[in-house]
Amino acid sequence: MTDAVIVAKDLRKRYGKQTVALDGSSFTVGRGRIVGLMGPNGAGKTTALKAILGLTPFEGHLDVLGRDPRRERDSLMQDVCFIADVAVLPKWLRVNDAIDYVAGVHPRFDRARADEVLARTEIRRRSKVSELSKGMITQLHLALIMAIDAKLLVLDEPTLGLDLLYRRAFYETLLNDYFDHERTILVTTHQVEEVENLLTDVLFINQGRIVLDSAIDALPSRYAQLIANGDSCEAARRLRPIYEREVFGRTAFVFEGRDASELAALGEIRTPSVADLFVAKMAGSAP
Amino acid sequence: MNAKSFFTLVKRETWEHRSLVWVPLITAALIVIAAIVSTNVSGSIRLDMELDGESSAFFGLLASDQATQAKLFSIWMGSIGLPVLFVTIIVLFFYLLDALYAERKDRSILFWKSMPVSDSATVLAKLFTSMVAIPLWVWAVSLVMGLLTFVVIAFKVSGTPIAPLGQFHFGAWFVLQLTLLQNLLLASLWYAPIAGWLLLVSVWAKRAPFLWAVLPPSLLMIFEEIIFNTAHVAQLVGYRLTHYFDAASVGFAVESDAGSQSIIDSIANTYDRMSAASLLAEPHLYSGLAAAAIFVLLAIRLRRWRDDA
Repeated sequence: MTDAVIVAKDLRKRYGKQTVALDGSSFTVGRGRIVGLMGPNGAGKTTALKAILGLTPFEGHLDVLGRDPRRERDSLMQDVCFIADVAVLPKWLRVNDAIDYVAGVHPRFDRARADEVLARTEIRRRSKVSELSKGMITQLHLALIMAIDAKLLVLDEPTLGLDLLYRRAFYETLLNDYFDHERTILVTTHQVEEVENLLTDVLFINQGRIVLDSAIDALPSRYAQLIANGDSCEAARRLRPIYEREVFGRTAFVFEGRDASELAALGEIRTPSVADLFVAKMAGSAP
Repeated sequence: MNAKSFFTLVKRETWEHRSLVWVPLITAALIVIAAIVSTNVSGSIRLDMELDGESSAFFGLLASDQATQAKLFSIWMGSIGLPVLFVTIIVLFFYLLDALYAERKDRSILFWKSMPVSDSATVLAKLFTSMVAIPLWVWAVSLVMGLLTFVVIAFKVSGTPIAPLGQFHFGAWFVLQLTLLQNLLLASLWYAPIAGWLLLVSVWAKRAPFLWAVLPPSLLMIFEEIIFNTAHVAQLVGYRLTHYFDAASVGFAVESDAGSQSIIDSIANTYDRMSAASLLAEPHLYSGLAAAAIFVLLAIRLRRWRDDA
């Protein structure tokens, strides 16, 4: 892909002797995509993000916006923004000072834009971060990020600990007022259902390896979910599903690379949701 | 990293560590207030010059020539800012210990690192804050405080036997301010290895940076004493802590049985030699700076690659 924002090849990283965080991960993120990086706890999501952001040493080849984050982090951060999670704005920081700070150090920061986004919230400019609710801290962080003209935005569990209203508003603002099909967003989250409608691509990671790398559009042609009729379960199993589970007395199978015509006779066919696929893939790739 | 960004980083330090700005200011304000209220009800002067029983000689001296008066003026104008300096040193010690520790403890390091600010710029801004920005602030606050105090004292001593104390000697004052500024910056250079060490501990310690800063050198001294019966480490540390004052001749070594005339002469002579510029010719200044550079480079490297937030 010529328009790749991130090219990762064979990323490896271990903590201590026992814990393998990245075990040969390779993936590519294209420009203008919204990519969900998903995996269970300890799968290597955060380590992968840290590698991309140049926050941790690792082995392998990694190219982010044409730069190696290990050696060229300082220039890379002019084009990359990230929100680690809700708690990282320091408590003593005042809203006004936060804006002054980013305006002072970031060459691509548009103060008027930050003011405009903040004006839509209840946040008072003289408040300290310690006086804001969790949701407001995220709004403030988002206002700062949205005023930066970055090429890549990395979000690591950005809505962790927020209530549903704030979570919805967060992603809506991001999608409607920030994303412009030129920028690229890479997001990790546990709340798969909430992001699945805004993603263009999914990356599933388990035990440090990428187990699924696909555009959302391409999923229906690759994956099918079959709700089997009672008698056809054996026939379905012979087609080697990657996952099966019982739903209200019926059995649901997930197939990879099977043509709909092969399955149609066995029952009802649907396209699995990202959440279904996530569960199927994680179960399938477990040791 | 341009000048505007660097200035923002230094400002950021004063937002987080407001005591860096306020403690010198409040201390200075207290000194001015003390000068104002140091008059008893009847309005007589109680300037305690620590010259018990020698006051007549002191008054005599005050009435003497302009040069001696200027020296006396310099002594009290030069020493009145010392409390501001001492409290600021304490604040700076804890500032440096906290500078790269608090951001890891509250995980805000992930926010700072999401900005296009290099680890070198971050660490150097903190070093600059402690070695240049705050010393300049202390100097400016002391200067204004000195002038305010002078006005108060001048008003109070008018018409008393010590009225000459209320005479302003501009030339002496000007030279004094330049000397104080020079000495503050020289002190920064001399104590740079300590600042560097504190920053290194601050970026490295998982918890209790104060203990990590103080215990290892202390234990080293104790073990050296027990095992080798020598005290090289203690001497090295002691030398670093005290030699600046020797160089700046701020140790008012006055013989206890000396008369007030010789006391004032000796203090006044001390003032004449108060410049610490002689440090610039000492190899120990430069070996200290080399150690500071190593500590700071290590601190930058550790902040760059440390991954435990």
